[in-house]
Amino acid sequence: MSDRRDSRTGSRPLLELEAVSKSFGGVHAVRGVSFQLTPESITGLIGPNGAGKTTLFNLITGLFPANSGRMIYEGETTHKVCIHELVRRGISRTFQNVELFESMSVLENILVGQHSRTRCGMWGSIFRFPWVLREEQQARRNALALLEFVGLEDYAAQKSSDLPFGWQRLLELARALAARPKLLLLDEPAAGLNIVETTQLGELIKKIREQGVTILLVEHDMSLTMTVSDKIIVLDQGVKIAEGPPREVQRDEAVVKAYLGTTG
Amino acid sequence: MDNRSNWHRIAYAALIVIVVLTGMLVSNAYHLQLLTFIGINTLLALGLNMLMGYAGQISLGHAAFYGIGAYTTAILTVHYAISPWLALPAAILIAMAIAYIVGVPTLKLSGYYLGMGTLGFGMIVHILFREWSGVTGGASGFIGIPPLELGPVSFSSGRNYFYLVWAIVLLSLIICRRIIDSRLGRGLRSIHDGEKAARAVGVNTGKLKLQVFVLSAAFSALAGFLYAHLVYFISPGTFDFITSIRIVTMVVIGGMASIWGALLGASLLTLLPEWLHSFSEFEMVVYGLILMSVMIFLPQGLTRGLMDIYERSKRQPDR
Ligand SMILES: Nc1ncnc2c1ncn2[C@@H]1O[C@H](COP(=O)(O)OP(=O)(O)O)[C@@H](O)[C@H]1O
Ligand SMILES: [Mg+2]
Repeated sequence: MSDRRDSRTGSRPLLELEAVSKSFGGVHAVRGVSFQLTPESITGLIGPNGAGKTTLFNLITGLFPANSGRMIYEGETTHKVCIHELVRRGISRTFQNVELFESMSVLENILVGQHSRTRCGMWGSIFRFPWVLREEQQARRNALALLEFVGLEDYAAQKSSDLPFGWQRLLELARALAARPKLLLLDEPAAGLNIVETTQLGELIKKIREQGVTILLVEHDMSLTMTVSDKIIVLDQGVKIAEGPPREVQRDEAVVKAYLGTTG
Repeated sequence: MDNRSNWHRIAYAALIVIVVLTGMLVSNAYHLQLLTFIGINTLLALGLNMLMGYAGQISLGHAAFYGIGAYTTAILTVHYAISPWLALPAAILIAMAIAYIVGVPTLKLSGYYLGMGTLGFGMIVHILFREWSGVTGGASGFIGIPPLELGPVSFSSGRNYFYLVWAIVLLSLIICRRIIDSRLGRGLRSIHDGEKAARAVGVNTGKLKLQVFVLSAAFSALAGFLYAHLVYFISPGTFDFITSIRIVTMVVIGGMASIWGALLGASLLTLLPEWLHSFSEFEMVVYGLILMSVMIFLPQGLTRGLMDIYERSKRQPDR
């Protein structure tokens, strides 16, 4: 195990990717990507559009399998592990294009987010045993606390699709937290937010990390990514072209050429 | 939330009052039977609504489970002289087992393909009812199914059967409501809203879809059991493709994702042909026109549509 230890902190990485690849037909979306995520760190994953960032998220969360390579989460391979099992083990995410449950209320979205943490099934729901009612009450309390955390407690009963876009992003973040993740993947959480909202989001991300959550953040807003991240990984055309602390990566020539240069 | 469950309690109470009053006032045997049919159709629509309206999965073969319920009790009570009350759990369990076996491969499909898969299943079962004549009586049907009796109470009277069916309907409405309002129901609804997001938050979508498919098969089999002991005679024609489509229509017309929609849809589709007799050869045309109008003017179905109209009329005076 000692070879798996992160040289700086001496602790085992929470997630480790070894030469992970994925292609769609002829498109090599992710090519031989390796990296490690230190527990309770924030890692920024950047790269131009189409670099393979979202695909990498889909691989880590188990939405589809990699063509080759290995992913090790908490010391165990995630190969062939079902998504709901990965969620239960603590991998949670948000989507680049907000994917809320639109027919449900704000509160219900968070309740669904606790699916992996609750147990009530068919018989429990029909007979409403005392433990089911307790579980439901606890789930509601948790949901309200999470809504308070992101500042949406006054909108619990609203239909989620009626929220303004920025709040929908916050709701999706709260829903991801409802699964009590150890690893949280945020796919462009600031896209579509104004400056004030983006600053608030940055504060939230730091608070989430303080609670012991490891975060992998895909974000085009450089000021946000560079200020909150401990480490930056740069992808270009599916390949990892740089990795390091924000300051170093910003100076890296390949990065400037591939990414910062193109987006201006 | 509390508001909504209050609303449901009032609706349950209203349903009980209506059923009791109807049972007391209606004495025409034909009318009582028609009202009993509405109850049986409500069970069919309710079961399918759990699958279609809440979990967003289509089935074009639900008449198969209806038929399996009816034929199982017919075979057990007539050929083996087993009490109907033992045949009831058998009918439901057999339908559930078959739904499980069929559901495992079929529910991996989605959209049109799931429609085709369930359609094929429905057709196979219908052909079995028709061709397996040694057991099912073949095309000419199955006669001599006994009436239900419970101690001194005989359900051979139309009124008693009417009460029995509607008591079961009420219980089923409550069961479905409870499932929908639970963690399980939220999981089902999340699949409907977005399967990718549902999986990402940890909902075991495959398992839930299978569970609700099996549940809806159980309701259909229950309806089939009640049908068989109501009319004492069953034949394959009752459980064909058209019946599957009619159940889907009840769900869509009544309103997806609404337990009361199942009741409304079943009532409309059961009563409409009766009202339209006077149109004689134009009956089907008028029938089609009415269904089309509902879909054009109340695309969310009767329940949502009527509720929206009610809410709008309530708001108007303030302005
Ligand atoms: N499900 C998919 N099917 C086919 N091609 C895909 C799929 N997902 C991503 N791709 C392709 O993979 C490449 C990387 O896309 P993506 O991971 O979305 O990039 P990013 O998130 O960095 O903008 C793109 O060329 C994209 O078209
Ligand atoms: Mg992306």
